[in-house]
Order: sequence, then structure tokens, then C-alpha cells
Amino acid sequence: MIAEHKLIKDKAISVVTLYRIFYGFVFTLCLSLTSFTAKAIEIDELIHHIDELWRGSTSHATMSMSVITKRYQRSMTMEAWSRGKDYSLVLIRQPIKDKGIATLKVEENIWNYLPKINRVTKVPSSMMSGSWMGSHFTNDDLIKESSFQDDYDSSITFEGERDGRRIYEVTSLPKMNAAVVWGKIVMLIEQDTLAPYKAVYYDEEGLLIRTMIFDQPQKIDGRTIPMRMSLQPEDKPDESTVIVYQDIVFNVALEDSFFSLQSLRQRR
Amino acid sequence: MSLWKIVSFLYKACDSDASAMLVSRTRAVLNRLPMLLFMAWRNIWRNPVRSMLTISALAGGLVMVILYAALLEGMTRQMVTFATEISTGHIQVQRQAFIDDQDLYATLPWSYLQTVEQKFPDIQIAPRLYSAGLASVENTSTGVLIKAVDPQREASVTQMLSHVRRGELNLAMADTLEDGLTRYNLVIGAQLAKNMNLEPGSELVLVTQAADGSIGNALYRIAAILKPLEPAFDRIGVLMSIEAYQQLMYLDDGFHELAIKLDDVTQLEAIQAALDAEFKSLATSQPLDELGGLPVVRNWKQLTPAIADMLELSKSMVLIIGFIVVALASMGMLNTMLMAVHERSHEFGILLAVGMKRRWLLLMVLFESFFLALVSAFVGSVFGIIIATYLEDPGIDFSASMPDGYDWAGMVFEPVMKGYLEPVHVVNACVLMILVTMFASLIPSWRIVRLKPVEVMR
Repeated sequence: MIAEHKLIKDKAISVVTLYRIFYGFVFTLCLSLTSFTAKAIEIDELIHHIDELWRGSTSHATMSMSVITKRYQRSMTMEAWSRGKDYSLVLIRQPIKDKGIATLKVEENIWNYLPKINRVTKVPSSMMSGSWMGSHFTNDDLIKESSFQDDYDSSITFEGERDGRRIYEVTSLPKMNAAVVWGKIVMLIEQDTLAPYKAVYYDEEGLLIRTMIFDQPQKIDGRTIPMRMSLQPEDKPDESTVIVYQDIVFNVALEDSFFSLQSLRQRR
Repeated sequence: MSLWKIVSFLYKACDSDASAMLVSRTRAVLNRLPMLLFMAWRNIWRNPVRSMLTISALAGGLVMVILYAALLEGMTRQMVTFATEISTGHIQVQRQAFIDDQDLYATLPWSYLQTVEQKFPDIQIAPRLYSAGLASVENTSTGVLIKAVDPQREASVTQMLSHVRRGELNLAMADTLEDGLTRYNLVIGAQLAKNMNLEPGSELVLVTQAADGSIGNALYRIAAILKPLEPAFDRIGVLMSIEAYQQLMYLDDGFHELAIKLDDVTQLEAIQAALDAEFKSLATSQPLDELGGLPVVRNWKQLTPAIADMLELSKSMVLIIGFIVVALASMGMLNTMLMAVHERSHEFGILLAVGMKRRWLLLMVLFESFFLALVSAFVGSVFGIIIATYLEDPGIDFSASMPDGYDWAGMVFEPVMKGYLEPVHVVNACVLMILVTMFASLIPSWRIVRLKPVEVMR
């Protein structure tokens, strides 16, 4: 009897241990799952945040751009509107020579309106990596046709203290069929404000092409937005382009018809 | 004979038995030479059908070699013409940075142009400017290469402007539209016109980045469509006047390229060196900015190395192909002579038995081969020259199947293939054929040397 009881007890104990092990396993699994999902949500949120930072649902901004090349130095001011990621319009205000030149993006199509000759020309997608208005920015940078969310697989590759601040390092690699210019983008983002302060661009061969520095952060609608972007091409150390946002307003009322070829012509 | 007397006198003066013997022997052969030649000639015609067949095989081979040489020469001449006269010119001057990456700012100042024009009266010069741009019409846009020329000067250097397929060549201001916009005329490449669906009279928008960084944009009217010149220009080339270019690009201080035509092409190297020296001294007296680099003077062989290489290659090609064709034809000769020697071995045996020297027999057989080769050379040259003259004038016309011509080694050729008969090629081909056939006939001759009279007479 005793022996039998002991056997049962042993059995019970072993069952309990088994349960305990099982539950422990499930528990740790849950733990790891929750921590995993927490991180996954974070990267998605982070990327979404970066993609939307200068855009919001709709936006209206005034900015100035100064370009320094070894041949010339010029500055221009422009006005930009956007609605979601599919619609945007950039209009040059100064200098006089280029005044009124507008770039309209509707989904995948890009048009330039040239007031001097009163004609609209379509920019072929092959020109997306071409220089925009003589700057070191590409058409793609300005129009923001590609987004981190749709075109890149991003992951947090470093989390902690660097350059004297707590940061996230996000490395983005292009998705298989994404029509993008870069082979890799590494972006450094401050943890406290979620504002980027540096982005490094590499080509398909992994060669460093250009570095973008973000600074002069400003809090607008509860988000910290860097108001100045300085672009430094790697192969031309004495050249650079700086864009400064003078003013940016989000959630303004913009109709769909605002982003049309007709309104492009009327705007002159 | 007087020369012979002097030689024999010299030998006698030496008073050497050996040399005296050599002289007498040589004289003996020379005395018999007319007889040997006569016998050889008669022997050929003992079997006229066989000899005629051999002659036609050799002559046919020779005709092939002559035609091949003529066609290749015609093609290389067309290449040189295209390389120099259509768009390149004999010599070009550009700055290093323009050669390296088409640097828009690597210009040569206009004052250089005047200096060169004054100091070199024997050359024609044409300045050119280039830029990349975006051409748009309706809803299509494509990247283009903008080329600007001075129509008067360009016409004196190259024939580019006369190769018009449709429309009328005119690079002046075209018209003014109702809203006060002026349009310049534009000339475009054939393939570009096809791709963008443009006709003479169509409107085209060009957008580019001007020299001051602003957005250069202007309206143009297509005046003419050029015939294919070179594949690159054909596909993306847009031609305008320098005046129109300066208004689009805000680039007034110079030109990118100087195309030069020489009055005397044989002076190519000398004038190139003189120009190089002149540009070097100009670069010190009127300094250029550092970024653009120094002016570089290059001739057409350096500008189009593929064609210069082709010219070199074609020379050795004629020799190699000629050797193969003639060697094949001389197999017929070898066969004929082997047969001739074989069926006459009885006769040779008798000749040897009655005291004919072996070397004379050998010489006679070699003469037979030589006569066959000579007759073949004559017949082949005559037919070769007749057909080559025909190739030279109407040429071979492919225009039914290839109306645009064909492009090869970066050059566009006319659809009519024309030969060019260089007399020295005919002479070379004949000499080559005679040498090869004589070499082939050494084999049958060798049989005579080894002939045993007793065996063959049995």
C-alpha cells in the first residue's frame, strides 16, 4: 500500500514537475513573444513615425535651400504641400529665374510645370535618381516617392548610448522588388524625441555615398521635427546642400483637386 | 650580256679554277635556257584540258583574293570617310575634364578660336557645345544629348548637316507663338524621332540644368530629322545652333570641342603637333581655370581607335585570307604537276639515259609550274579587275533590305557596299599566288631528282 501510495505520489510529483516545466516553458515563450512583439511594434512605429515626420496627413511648408558646388552657389525658397504619401506639390518662389516652376506628384507620376514656356513635362521614373533643381538631393528625396515602410525592411541594429545620447540605430535594406536608389540606409534616431539626427546612405555595393545631418529640432503638434537637413555627398567634400524649413503646418485642408495639372497651370 | 662579261672577267681576274668552273656551268645553263623554256611551254599544252582546269582554279582563287581586297579596302575607305568627314573631323580639341566626364564647365574660351583661325589658314575649324537634357513632348519624356554647332563653320568641316532624311535643315530662330514665346529650330536623330513620334514641324520641350544651376527650359520646333550618323547620336542626339544653346544653358564663355578638317590629310601628324604646341602656349598666355584641365589635341585615329585598329587588321586579313584561298587553289596545281610528272616518267628516264642533266629536267618542270602560275595570274587579274571595277561603281546595293545602312564598330555605314581597287593589291595577290604555287610544285620536282632511269624505262 505504502509502496503503491509512494508510487502515486511520485507520479503526481512528476506530473506536477512536468506541468511546472510546461508552464514555465509557456511562460517564457509568452515572455519572449511579448518582448518580441513589443520590439516589432516599436520598429514599425518608428518607421511610420519617420515616414510621417515631415508629412502628417496633410502639410504645408515653406523652406529654403542653398546649394554649394565647386562651380556655383545658389539659394532658393519654395513652398510645398502634401497629402498622404501619394500627393505632393513643390513650388519655387525664388530666385526670379526659376520662380513658378512647380513639381507635382500624384501616385507614381511626376510632372514639372515650366511657367516660362507654359508647358507641363512628365519626369520619367528613370530620372528619379537625378539631381533635383541642381542640388545634391535627388528627385526621389524631394518627392518622397519611396517610403521606409513600403520599400525597405528595417530593423533596429543598435539601441543604447552613442554620441552622448540615447539612440536607436535603424538599418534599412531595400525590399526585393522595390524601385529604390539606395542599397542600405542607416538612420540614427534619438530615443527621447524620436527625431532623427543623422542618416547615412550606401549604394548597392555598400559604398558610402552621402550623409544627411538633421538638426534645429522644433516641437510641432507634439512631435519633434528637425528643421534643418544638410546633405553632404561623399565624393565631393567641398559641396553640400542645406534645406531649412522656415515653417511647417500639419493637417491643413487640401482638396484632391489641389494636386492636379489644372491647378499646376493656374498657380503661375 | 655586257654585265655578264664584266662578271666573268672579274672571275677570270681572280684566276681561280673553282670560280671559272662555276661561270662556265652557269653559262651552260643560260645557253640552254631558251630551249628549256620552249620545252616547258610546249609540255603544258600537251594536255590542254587539264592545264586549262588548273589555270581556271588558280585564276578563280586569284579573283576571289582581288575582290576580297577591293571590298575590304572600300569598306575601310568608307570607314575613314565616315570617321572623319561625317562628324568627327580629322583632329579634335577638348579639355581633359570634358573628355573624362563631359564636364559642362570645361570650356575653351572663344578667344582661342580666333587665334587658331588666324594662325592656321590651312585648316577648317568648327566649335561645338554639348549638354545633357530631358526632351518632352505630350506625356513622354526621354534623356537626350544636346549638341550645338555653328552651321556655317560646321558645314566647312563635316557633312553632318547635309545628311538630312526629312525636313529642311535650318538652325535659326523658327517662329514666335501667340503668347510671345520664341522657338528655335532643332534637328534630331532618326531613332529619337521614331521613339518620340516626332515629325518635322513638331514641338519639343527641352529641360536641362543651366550652367548657373537654374532650370534651363525652352520650346523648339523640329526642323529636320537626320539620317543615321553614329548610333549614339541617332538614338539620343538633338542638334541646335550655338545661339540657341547659349540662351538655354547660360553658358557664353566658351565651347567644349573644336573639330578640325585639314586641307592636306598627309600633314595630319605635323599639324596635330603644331596645334598641340599652340594650345599649350595659349593655355599659358590666357590661363584656363584649373578644374577643367588642359586642352588635349587628338587625331581621328586616337578618337576612334576601333576604326584605326580595323585599318591595321584589314591589312593582315587580306594576307591571311589570300594565303588560304591561294593555298587551296594550288592543290589543283600540285595534282596536275604530279600527274604530269608521273605519266612522263618513262620519257624522263630516256632523257636521263641519253645524258640530260637532272637539274635541267628539274628546272624544266619548275618552269612548267611557273608558266601555269603566270597564265593564271594574267587571267585572274583581268577578271578580278573587271569585277572589282563593277563593285567600285554601282557597288552591292543592300538598300532594299537595310534602308538605314548598318552599324558596325560604332559607325553607321551606307547600305551600298562599294569596293575600291588598289593596283598594288592586284600585284601583291599575283606575287603571293606565284610564290605559293612554286612552293607547291617543289613536291613533283622532287620525284624527278629521285627518278631511277633503269626502273622507269622497264
